[in-house]
Amino acid sequence: MQQDATKERAEFDREFVDAFRRPVSQGNWVRDINPLIAFLVLGCLAIIPIWIEGLIAPLAMCAAFVAISLLAGVGRHFIPGYLKLFLAVGLILFVLRAAFEPGDLVLFRLGPLSPTWEGVQSGARFALVVMVLCGALTLYAALIPAKYLMLALEQQGLTPRATYVLLTSFQAITDLAKNVRVVMDAQKSRGIETEGSILTRSKAFFPIIAPAFLAAMNQTEERAVALDARAFSSKAPHTRLVSLRGPRPWEFGLLLVAVAGVVVSIMGAYLSWP
Amino acid sequence: MPITFSHVSFAYPNGSLAVDGISLAVNAGERLAIVGQNGAGKTTTVKLMNGLLKPTSGTVMVDGVATADRSTASIAETVGYVFQNPDDQIFASTVRAEMEYMPRYRKWDDAKRDQRVARAARLTGIEGYFDGNPNDLPLVIRKFVAIAAILVGECKYIVLDEPTAGLDRPGQRRLIGMIDQLEAEGISVVTITHDMRFVAQAFTRVIAMANCRIVADGTCSSLFSSDELLRQASIRRPELAQLAKDLGLSDTAYGLNDVAALIPEMPRASQR
Amino acid sequence: MALVSIHGVSFTYAYSEQPALRDVSLQLEEGLLYGVIGTNASGKTTLCSLIRGLIPLFHPGTLTGKVEIRGRNLLDWDPAHLARAIGCVFENPFTQISGIKDTVFEEIAFGLENIGVPREEMITRVLGVVERLGLQSLIKKNPNELSGGQRQKVAFAAIVAMEADFIVIDEPTSQLDPEASDAVFGIIGDLRKQGKSIVLVEHKIDLMAQHADRIIVMKDGKVIGEGPTGDILTSEIMDVADVPRPEVTDLALALKGTAKALPTLPITRAQAFDAISPRLSG
Repeated sequence: MQQDATKERAEFDREFVDAFRRPVSQGNWVRDINPLIAFLVLGCLAIIPIWIEGLIAPLAMCAAFVAISLLAGVGRHFIPGYLKLFLAVGLILFVLRAAFEPGDLVLFRLGPLSPTWEGVQSGARFALVVMVLCGALTLYAALIPAKYLMLALEQQGLTPRATYVLLTSFQAITDLAKNVRVVMDAQKSRGIETEGSILTRSKAFFPIIAPAFLAAMNQTEERAVALDARAFSSKAPHTRLVSLRGPRPWEFGLLLVAVAGVVVSIMGAYLSWP
Repeated sequence: MPITFSHVSFAYPNGSLAVDGISLAVNAGERLAIVGQNGAGKTTTVKLMNGLLKPTSGTVMVDGVATADRSTASIAETVGYVFQNPDDQIFASTVRAEMEYMPRYRKWDDAKRDQRVARAARLTGIEGYFDGNPNDLPLVIRKFVAIAAILVGECKYIVLDEPTAGLDRPGQRRLIGMIDQLEAEGISVVTITHDMRFVAQAFTRVIAMANCRIVADGTCSSLFSSDELLRQASIRRPELAQLAKDLGLSDTAYGLNDVAALIPEMPRASQR
Repeated sequence: MALVSIHGVSFTYAYSEQPALRDVSLQLEEGLLYGVIGTNASGKTTLCSLIRGLIPLFHPGTLTGKVEIRGRNLLDWDPAHLARAIGCVFENPFTQISGIKDTVFEEIAFGLENIGVPREEMITRVLGVVERLGLQSLIKKNPNELSGGQRQKVAFAAIVAMEADFIVIDEPTSQLDPEASDAVFGIIGDLRKQGKSIVLVEHKIDLMAQHADRIIVMKDGKVIGEGPTGDILTSEIMDVADVPRPEVTDLALALKGTAKALPTLPITRAQAFDAISPRLSG
């Protein structure tokens, strides 16, 4: 039994190591699209609805994003988050615009507010366009891990130092959240009340924000020394364990279609202006 | 009043068990070392003492009240906890400000605050560092600053989490001197440590933990006498104790004088 | 040619009033393990930073005297070449992980990426190191989620993979439990057997006694003693430096001059056992 388990683990590990010998793959054709191409395509899709009047275009694009997420197998991560974004950001933007935009056809009066039909329409469009932009960003984050984007950028000439700074910024956010919890524990252990009203909690929390950042700065300094130990500043060309496949011809085709879509929508908007 | 644990268990929200049905009592003016491998439950146990963690079953009583019924901050007035990493705890820009933070928060009068701060600084030997920025001080001084900041309070129980990590001999002497002084004042000191030489020197009561349970609670001698216990808790005897055992001289001796007394004399012939 | 040659070096950190190193002169030879001992402010870490070239690059200050690494002046070395020539492992396991790699395997390969090692050779070297240090169960884990002891082992692995012949190790076990400490010292012992040159700073004097070839004793920024381990640990320099001796040495010194005296002063438990056990059979 023990031998079987060890053998199984050895197989597993060999597969893990072998994977480095091949270009990286996330196991899904959508997610394997070159990170830079994916970025540009989603960017194009995001701006197309700006040039097309009405609510149908942005709504269709939001639906398209949901469809892409399902195709890419990240629906479970993307869709609930996107819905929450709609309710939180989208709804607020809609209400603000709808409540205060002046217009002719007043729908009803509620105290000082008199929302108009024009306001509702412009509010809905504004909210939806913003949702398209947010959707494009969150979809990209769900499709492409940051490290693969960095790899693609490095292939295009971005320095390892820049990619390191970008990648550690993401890690720093997770670390900070962990740090905050530890520091709050320290406050409690000192007798500083952290439970209770917002005021009580703030009194405990605010004094430690700046020092928490300073501590993170100190850590960065130590890490810089550790990086030096790994010859990070070496001027020899860096090789990479993980390799990214170059974009395939059909991916360029996809990019072409997306750009064409932008051109057509801009031209359409231009031509339809009086 | 003693701190008591009655059949206390603690499990994290994800279900993993950190402490499993432990019972113990820490009395006033007692000094106690808690030893065991990383992951055995030592830090969880002491965090249950000061209320940072509340038991998922069983009861922890401090000052006669269950910790589950009080906020951590209120328990902290009785049980002071010094973190293993002083940088998790220190945040002020001067040592003085760090030590005066809690008294100012509790609105103590100036005389009481100054007197307690001076006493804490004296106990930890950091009087010369009042105006220094903790970030500029060496790690060892920061460790003592963190301890001093807790000693300012009027806690009857002080918990030290791995105070000896990275400490040199003068630092260790200062630490033991501080523990002696606290004991003399009737304050209990609970210390988590890996350093068995330190435990042998400074503690008469030691609790050994393994796999979330307490496997031993007694004297150093009784702990060092059992190979089985040591293996379970993944700890080693101090060098002299192990030597005495290897030579078959004693299962329980561990101090320098005790072991020296057991060493046989040179054979007559070589004494000439 | 000596590995490291230090002549009359003094160094004061930029914001400090007191020198951290005072008129230090040392000669270190290849292939030996040098243990550095002393109280906390004695200058041990500064000495390590100097040898490794972190001073004055990362720690500005006033440096006087001459430092030569492998016959070349420290200030003439390119920092990246120095990083390849001298590996280093520090005390804090949490800041030696790059933070940007998702698996331990990639973390260990990071240094090799930086020096431009081809992919296939990278994989071979990382696998070799993983096997030697027994890290097979960790290779897929995220380095940011490891315990202190596991991180320290990974940091060691990353440095060993870079195959420097000279490694500086500064208090690698101070945050670790005895089992992890033993594992780390096991690695150090293996490196020594491979003939690497090592400078090791440690408080755990009993472990130091077992592994070091020579000891450097520091106090107040000065080197007050340097010599074979057995000589130094049994001498009075230890009292001057206020550093504990191995427990068995203290025992032997307590028995000195009495009828129980030992023939030689042991520095390890094994030596003490060998010295005393003949008396028991008689």
